[in-house]
Amino acid sequence: MPGGIRRSLVLNAGWVLFAVALVIPLIDHALPRDYQIAGDMRRIFVFAILGLGLNVVTGYTGLLNLGVAAFMAIGAYSYAILTCDIYPFRFGFWTALLLTIGVGAIAGAVLGLPTIRLRGDYLAIVTLGFGEITQDSLKNLDTITRGTQGINPLPAPTVFGYALGTQSVLAWYYLLLALLAVVVLFSRNLEHSRVGRSWISIREDEIAATCMGINPVKVKLLAFAMGAAMAGMAGALWAAYLGSTGEPGNFDFQLSIIALCIVIIGGMGNISGVLLGAFVIMGFNSIVLAKLTTLLQQQGWMDTQNVLTVPGNWKYMIFGLALILAMRFKPEGLLPSRQLKAELHEAEEDERGRRTKKARTQ
Amino acid sequence: MSLLRIQNMTIQFGGLTAVNQVDLAVERGQIFSVIGPNGAGKTTVFNAVTGVYEPTDGSILIDGRPGMLPVSARTIAGFVFIAAATALGFTIALSVRGLWDSVINANYVYQQDFPWAKAAGDGLRFLCELPWTLNVAPGAAGALVGLAGAVAVWRRARRTPDVVADAGVSRTFQNPRLFHQMTVLENVLVGMDTKLRSRFWHAAFRLPYFFREYREAKAKAMELLAFVELDDDAGAPASSLSYGHQRRLEIARALASGPKLLLLDEPAAGMNPSESNDLMELIRKIRARGVAVMLIEHHMDLVMDVSDRIAVLDYGNKIAEGTPDEIQANPKVRKAYLGTEDA
Repeated sequence: MPGGIRRSLVLNAGWVLFAVALVIPLIDHALPRDYQIAGDMRRIFVFAILGLGLNVVTGYTGLLNLGVAAFMAIGAYSYAILTCDIYPFRFGFWTALLLTIGVGAIAGAVLGLPTIRLRGDYLAIVTLGFGEITQDSLKNLDTITRGTQGINPLPAPTVFGYALGTQSVLAWYYLLLALLAVVVLFSRNLEHSRVGRSWISIREDEIAATCMGINPVKVKLLAFAMGAAMAGMAGALWAAYLGSTGEPGNFDFQLSIIALCIVIIGGMGNISGVLLGAFVIMGFNSIVLAKLTTLLQQQGWMDTQNVLTVPGNWKYMIFGLALILAMRFKPEGLLPSRQLKAELHEAEEDERGRRTKKARTQ
Repeated sequence: MSLLRIQNMTIQFGGLTAVNQVDLAVERGQIFSVIGPNGAGKTTVFNAVTGVYEPTDGSILIDGRPGMLPVSARTIAGFVFIAAATALGFTIALSVRGLWDSVINANYVYQQDFPWAKAAGDGLRFLCELPWTLNVAPGAAGALVGLAGAVAVWRRARRTPDVVADAGVSRTFQNPRLFHQMTVLENVLVGMDTKLRSRFWHAAFRLPYFFREYREAKAKAMELLAFVELDDDAGAPASSLSYGHQRRLEIARALASGPKLLLLDEPAAGMNPSESNDLMELIRKIRARGVAVMLIEHHMDLVMDVSDRIAVLDYGNKIAEGTPDEIQANPKVRKAYLGTEDA
């Protein structure tokens, strides 16, 4: 396992999820229309890409970023402006997607350059502020972004000769799955390389890493730009399959927090963990709750007058509860990176050891 | 020319003078020990040499050079670029709606071809025809802010630990500071980072160069691990090593950057006599590789045994320097360690 180049061949949760994702549409086909989930699965894929972007910044490099929604918004709007025919650019899907990734990376670098030297909480506050500013700017620059209307309709992209309209659920499903697989491979390749090692060394011990000749500013900036690029890509895909950017309010603090939950619950710094996190959180958020609502409505058990019978209203209570339970029982996430687990439990044992020692001396 | 020359160095923290006008010189191939009672300023000297602290006064020369980032054409170009980008950014940010209107909205007819050249000209004209408060002023302000920011940041980054490490000085820490979540091998590979040239695209697309470099780096890292006798543990997590082995791994990691000078901060702390004897043997072997060693250590018999030259610090002042025999005979040193007879 040294260096981990061959680690990828080991059967892991990521491959299992991938296999499941490949066959879901086949089974899905047989279900009644109201209970098909392939359409909503697309949201999971987009959020998995977003989570992988955040994983680079927060998981590997250890910089708390509370403003990923801003980069997703920048991606969505860049893609919309580059493709929608009310603007003069009218690029094709692939060109626009690549340009959007570039715009995301530049946005990340521009935010990172002056702020990356801030430590811990201060950087978190800056990214939080950036998220709010981006949202407000998009709302108020209505000559460019059409304000709260959002930019729509976006043209159906033509991919390998097929026009992917908002109705072509299956085609979008497999396209997004393929792009997610590409991002997963990209992340994994970086993780087990000079770049990934320098990210993780900065997270582990910044002083020691710099004394070994690693330039912390360059390393963090690269992580920031790359995370922003992936978030931008997620935004572009989101806008592309919905055929609209939606209103700027969609890219709010809540979305940043959901992305952070995906990374934390899944397991920081572990790609399979992030995929699982996206699967669990977005699956619950946009599949389980939505289908439950449909079911209750059909059975006539849902009374819109009674807030307690609407499943969506339980969402944040369940979310909060899940987070608290996760922090208490599995602080390293569902699928921790092997080392993080060791470290967190080591700290626990230290704490326990200290307590018994204290008890003995008293 | 000395490998490391510290001239008249003073380090103050607020009112406390931790190191006071110290001169030291380490020659090539030397094992140079710094000893002194607790709190004498030994680790502070190490931190200043490696760029963790900025000396209040005095100079540190590595191979006759200050171990700082030079002012190169690239640096200047970087300043100009940042200043220009901020200037442009400020100006555009202030008039973004008007600019968009005159460039895009005024020229674009729905689904017709877009006259790119005319649009660019219109944009330029729009910016030029703005009142000076909206083009010259924000441009100048932006350039100033960008330049000031870039210069300030660059000045602070001139002598950071990574720059010093690049200049050929590597170190270990008083308490081992390994990357615990990485394997033993990965720790050494991080130490080798300055020697690697691959970029992220080599890794992301797994280009042939990535594999070639990884193979070479791994072979070199394994050689270093064999040197410190840890090659059997290469795949184990660093946190699973015993304390003595962690110290050895730290030495291998520090050697991986190919230093001319290695600073060891109390490497024998917490070791039993046989372990520390092995360690001294290792230090001699490091010298035999052509790496000079600067050593902080409290085990006096070891220091006297292994050192070529010793400096003694007491309350931040250098009170003696010489060969082990001279130091042992020096009355000032005895006084610093044992106190005066009439006390």
